[in-house]
Amino acid sequence: MNHELIELRELMLTAPGSGATRIVALIVSLVLLAVVLGLVRRRKLREEFTPIWVAVAFGIAIVGVNSDVLRGLARAIGAWTVSSTVFFLGEVFLVAICLNYAVRLSQASVHIKNLAQEVALLRARVDDLEQTSEAPHGG
Amino acid sequence: MGDTLLLIPAFDEATSLPEVLRRAERAAPDVPVVVVDDGSRDDTARVARAHGARVLRHPYNLGYGAALQTGYKYALRRGFRFLVQMDADGQHDPAQVPRLLEPLRAGDCDLVIGSRFLERSGYRMSFPMRAGREFFRLLARLLGVDVTDPTSGFQAMNRDVLALYVGDFFPSDFPDVDVLLMARRGGARVREIPVRMSEGARRSRIHGGVRILYYPYKMLLSLWAASARPSASGGRAPEERYDEPRAD
Repeated sequence: MNHELIELRELMLTAPGSGATRIVALIVSLVLLAVVLGLVRRRKLREEFTPIWVAVAFGIAIVGVNSDVLRGLARAIGAWTVSSTVFFLGEVFLVAICLNYAVRLSQASVHIKNLAQEVALLRARVDDLEQTSEAPHGG
Repeated sequence: MGDTLLLIPAFDEATSLPEVLRRAERAAPDVPVVVVDDGSRDDTARVARAHGARVLRHPYNLGYGAALQTGYKYALRRGFRFLVQMDADGQHDPAQVPRLLEPLRAGDCDLVIGSRFLERSGYRMSFPMRAGREFFRLLARLLGVDVTDPTSGFQAMNRDVLALYVGDFFPSDFPDVDVLLMARRGGARVREIPVRMSEGARRSRIHGGVRILYYPYKMLLSLWAASARPSASGGRAPEERYDEPRAD
């Protein structure tokens, strides 16, 4: 990379973030936190599924307030701008969380199948027991 | 043959079941029959009961593989030593059930597959199906399973195989050569015998929904996963450790 490009990249990475960006990041963080808590309160989201989203909300707030964190990350991954780093990390997060839910869904489908089979087997067993108890007693 | 169970998975088969059950009764009168009704929308369960079969009803449609597995769990819990499975659409001839059981009873093998292709039976397939079958047969042979008809729904097995097949690895949709590979890796001795199958019979509706593009993808993935896993016994369901008293 020639000297001008290195300087240009450094310029882009050290450009001061605007106050508006920080406010938007804080608002997004607070809204996400409020939505998560609201979903838990209305029993639409179970508590054990919330840590990741609370962490995301705090993460957005931290990088919004302290942009040095993002700049450090951008340098570490070789990005040119802070915004492209945000998009890249967002995509990685979304792929990871989708894969995680696919795994949970696979486990849940096996459990549901086993339960439905158990229902069929137990219903047959109940039928047996009912027939036995309804049979006329000899003597 | 009180130690043997005949398993027939069925989904919306009220039309074809009576004849299948009548033929099964004629061919093997002392073999109890279990029909697993996989959430049928028609009278499958009532028709099966009316013809003397024991019926296990899924609360909703789970798939052909899950229906078979429910039957395996039933057989295992009720203490049956052998199980024969056949489709409900009439393509399998119940008169051949004793032939499937012979090698099992002799102790020569653990799993018997009734093959359409071991001898020239006149069973015809379309070119894409034939090509796909040959491809996966070659692949399976490379992985150590040499069978001519891995998709055959006409099979017989002993308790050792039943104990393997109740594991969570068993697919809910369509068990195929991947399951045979897991059986082999679990120590099962597999044998094929030639059987006649009727191609005139309506394709079983329980096989419906098998998409032509999804099938090769799923097979390749399943074969790879089956060959990469340590063994089939790892996924065995803990609830299969006890036997219920026989009621048949």
